[in-house]
Amino acid sequence: MKKLFIFLAAAFLCFMLIAPANAASKDTFVKATYGTVRTIDPATAYDVSSGMKLYNIYERLVAFDGASTENFIPELAVEVPTVANGGISKDGKNYRFKIKKGIKFHNGATLTPEDVEYSFERGMIMDQAGGPQWMILEALTGKGGTRDGDDKVIDGIFEKIMAAVDVDGDDVVFHLPVPYPPLMGIIQYTSSSIINKKWAIANKCWDGKLATAAKYNNPDFNKEPLLKIANGTGPYTLKEWIPSNQFVFERFEGYWGKTPYFKNAIVKYVPEWTTRKLMLQNGDADVVDLDSMYVEEVEAMEGITVYKIPQLSYSAAIFCQKINPAGNPDIGSGKLDGNGIPPNFFSDIHVRKAFSHSIDWKAMKEDVGMGLIDLPGSPNCIGLPYYKEIPLYSFDAKKAEAEMKQAFGGEVWEKGFKMTITHNTGNALREAAANMMAENIMALNPKFQIEIRNVAWKDYTVKYRQFAYPVFIIGWGADYPDPHNFLYTFMHSNGVYGKYSGFKNAEVDALCDAGIQNVEPEKRRAAYSKLQDLWHELAVGNTVYQQTVVKPFRSDIKGFVGNPMFDDDHEYLKNLYRE
Amino acid sequence: MATFITRRLILLIFVMFGVSLLIFGLMMTFSPERRAMAFVSTPQMAKDIPLLIKKYGFDQPFYAQYYTWIKEVSHLNLGYSLVASRSVMEAFLYYFPITLELNLYAAPCIILFGIWMGTIAGTKPNSFFDHFSRIFSIIGWSLPTFLFALVLIMIFYGYFSLFPPGVLSDELTMFVRNSDDFVRYTHLYTIDGILNGRLDITLNAFKYLFLPVLTETIVICALLMRVMRSGMLEEMSKDYIITAKAKGADKKTIYLKHARRNALIPVITIAGQLVAMLMEGSIAVEIIFNRQGIGWWMASSATQLDMPVLMSMCLVMAVIFVLSNLVVDLIYAYIDPRIRLS
Repeated sequence: MKKLFIFLAAAFLCFMLIAPANAASKDTFVKATYGTVRTIDPATAYDVSSGMKLYNIYERLVAFDGASTENFIPELAVEVPTVANGGISKDGKNYRFKIKKGIKFHNGATLTPEDVEYSFERGMIMDQAGGPQWMILEALTGKGGTRDGDDKVIDGIFEKIMAAVDVDGDDVVFHLPVPYPPLMGIIQYTSSSIINKKWAIANKCWDGKLATAAKYNNPDFNKEPLLKIANGTGPYTLKEWIPSNQFVFERFEGYWGKTPYFKNAIVKYVPEWTTRKLMLQNGDADVVDLDSMYVEEVEAMEGITVYKIPQLSYSAAIFCQKINPAGNPDIGSGKLDGNGIPPNFFSDIHVRKAFSHSIDWKAMKEDVGMGLIDLPGSPNCIGLPYYKEIPLYSFDAKKAEAEMKQAFGGEVWEKGFKMTITHNTGNALREAAANMMAENIMALNPKFQIEIRNVAWKDYTVKYRQFAYPVFIIGWGADYPDPHNFLYTFMHSNGVYGKYSGFKNAEVDALCDAGIQNVEPEKRRAAYSKLQDLWHELAVGNTVYQQTVVKPFRSDIKGFVGNPMFDDDHEYLKNLYRE
Repeated sequence: MATFITRRLILLIFVMFGVSLLIFGLMMTFSPERRAMAFVSTPQMAKDIPLLIKKYGFDQPFYAQYYTWIKEVSHLNLGYSLVASRSVMEAFLYYFPITLELNLYAAPCIILFGIWMGTIAGTKPNSFFDHFSRIFSIIGWSLPTFLFALVLIMIFYGYFSLFPPGVLSDELTMFVRNSDDFVRYTHLYTIDGILNGRLDITLNAFKYLFLPVLTETIVICALLMRVMRSGMLEEMSKDYIITAKAKGADKKTIYLKHARRNALIPVITIAGQLVAMLMEGSIAVEIIFNRQGIGWWMASSATQLDMPVLMSMCLVMAVIFVLSNLVVDLIYAYIDPRIRLS
C-alpha cells in the first residue's frame, strides 16, 4: 500500500513537471493588466480601461489613420467628410456622413443611419455627470452639458440635441451652432460608438422620443442599462466579463472588414507586477501593463518587442477644494484640529503651494520614471498646440514650510492635520508620487500626518466624482489633440477634473470658453497662454508626469501601431496577429 | 455524541448572537454619515446623505438598527460589494470555492507533513533529521509568505516555465464556462473534472494548485511540526513509555500508537485553528499566484472600505471558527477515548 502510494505520488509529480505551462493558445491574445472596468456603456464610459474594450466591440464613423493624430480614415462612414468633397459645408457648420451599407451588428441587425442618429442623441441625452458627453454637446449645442451649475436641466437643451443630428436619406448630418475644429477627433472617440437602436430600446435604453428625454438624463452610476452588455458592429463581441477578474472577447464572424487573426482575446486582471512579468516571459501573456520603473527588466528579457510611444497625456495631483465631509474617512475629524482637515483645506493657496513644492522632480524623472517621463508645467502637455514651457514648483522644503506657516493664518502649522492621498491600484508611478508628497510634507512638521491609500480604478473614477478624495492623482489622455481637451478638463468649473476639484475661477472659465470659441490661432494662443500661466500661479494642481507609454509585446505579435492619443490600455485587436 | 453535537450547534446560535452584537457595536462607532456612505454609489446620492440616514434608519436607537440589520442578514441580504461589482452573497459564492479548493489540498498537506516531521524529529532528538527539521521550521515560520511565494514562482514558473499562476488554463476556463456539457457541481475544478469525466481539467487544475499549496504547506506546517516535536519529546520521557520499552514492546508501536496519540491533542487544537484561518484566504498567496479568492477580496475590501463585505465576512469567519472548534472536539474524542464528549 505504502509503495503504491509513493508510486502514485511520483507519477503525479512527474506529470506536473512534464506538462508545459499554460503557453497562450495560438489564436488567443492575452493581456495582463492592473486596470479594472466599471462600465462598457459607450455613452458613459470615460477612461482608458473601458476604452480598449469599446474600441474593439463598437465602431465609430471615423478612426485615426494609424499613428496620426490629425488624419482620419472612414470606419462606418463611406468617406471622411471634407470641405473639398462637400461633406463639410463652407461655413464649417454642417458635417455630412454617408453611412456604409450592409454592415451587421453582433445580434444580426443591419446598420442604418437611424442607428447613428440614435447613438449620438442617446449619449447626449444621458450626459452622465463627469461622463464624456460634454465634448459632443459642446460641439453640437454650444453647451458643455445638459445641466447648469446647479444641476438643473437647461431649458430647451433636449430640443437642441434632437435638432443637431438628422438623417437625410443614407446620410447623417450634424448641425453645429459655430464651427468646431476638434469635432472629428470627438467623433472617433469611444463615446461616439454606434449602437443598435432597436436592441438598445429593448434593453431599457431611451426610447428615442423627445418627451421622455428628461427621464433618461444623468443616470445613476452602475445603473446604466448597457452597463455590462454590448452589441456593436466591431470585430469582436463580448463573450464574458467577470469584474476585477477577466474580460473575454470573441471574434465576430459576421464582421464586414478583414477577418481578425485572433479568435479570442482575454484581458486578465493581474495587479502584481512580478506575476505579470513572468506571464509575459513565459508567453502566457502577449502584452502586459508596464510602469516606467520596470522597463529595464523587460528590455533585458528575450523574445519581447518593446514599443515606446510618447503620449498626449498628463497626470497630476488634484487638490479638491470642497471635499465632501459626509462619512469621509480620508479627512479624519473633518476639522483643523490636528486630527483631520476641513473640507475647504485646499481652498487655501498656501496649502496647495506647499504640496506643490514637495515633489522631488529629479528623483521622479530619473529614479521613478527612468527617464521615460516628461514634466510639463501645466495640463497643456508637450506635443499639443500652443504648448508653453511653464516652470514647476521647485522641490524645496523651506519654501513648503514657509507656505504651510501662512496657511489658514498659521493654524495649519500650529495644530497640524491628518488626511489621505489616494491613487489607483497598481499604478506604481502615481504611488511613488503620492509617497513622495506625503513623506516630504510630513517631514516639515511632526504634526502633519498623511496616509496613502490605493483604490481599484473602477471605484476610483466614481469616488472622485463624489468629492471624496482630498488629493487624488489621476491622468488625462487626449480625446482629441487640442489644448481645449486638457485645459478645459483640468481648469474649467464644468470640466471633469475642474468640477470635481471644486475649483471655480471666472477668469479661467472665460479664457477656456474664449479658447474654443475663437478660430483665429493668435486669439487662441493668447487664451491658452494665459491659462497655462494661471495653472501655475493659482497652483490648481501639481504635475506628476507626462508619460511615454512602454508596451512590451511578445515578439511574435505583429501589427501594433502606437498612437500618442492612445494610452496603455488601447490595442486595436483586429490589427494584431501572431507570426 | 449526538447530544454533544446538538448542544454545540445550539451554542453556535449564542456565539453568533454575541459576534453579531460585537460587529454591529463596532460599526456603530462610525457616524451615521459614514455608515450611510456605504450605500452611496453615485455622486447624486452623495448629496442626499440625510435622506439615506432616514431611509436606512441610521438615526434610530441601537436595538432598532440592530433588528433591521439582523433581519436582512438572516435573509442572506448582506449588501452590495463595490469591489466585486455584485451582491456580497453572489461575490462570496464566486470567491469562496477558489479559496476552498486551495485549502482542500493545502490543509491535509500542512497537517500530515507537520505531524510526520514532528514525530520523526521528536523520536530522534538531536539526529540529523531533527536538526534539519528545526532549521526548516525556523525558516518556514520566519519567512514572510509573500517573499516565499515570490521565490517559488520565480524559480518554478520564471526559470523552469512550470506551474503558471491562475486557476485553470485559458482554454479550459473558456470550455468550462461556456460548455453545456460540463456541469459545475461543486465549483471546484479538481472535483468537477472527475465528476464530468474530464481528468484533463482535474490535472490542469492541480498544476495551478501546486505552488500555492506548496507555499502554504512550507510556511504554515512549521508551527505544527514544532508543537508535535515538543509533544513527542514530552511523551517519550513519561513512565508508561519507559515501561513499554522495558517490557520489550515494538518501538514502532510505542512511538506511533502510544506516544503520538497523546502528543496529538495540542496539535489538533492548533490544526483546527489553522484550517479556520486558511478559509479566510491567504492574501499574499492569492495575489502572487493570481487566484482571486476570499483573501484577495477581503484585502481589496479593506483598502477600499467596502463595509458590507467586511461585516459579512466577520460573521462568516465566526461561523467557520465555531464549526472548526466543533470538529476539533470530535477528533479529540476519537484520538483520546479518555475525553468524554457527553
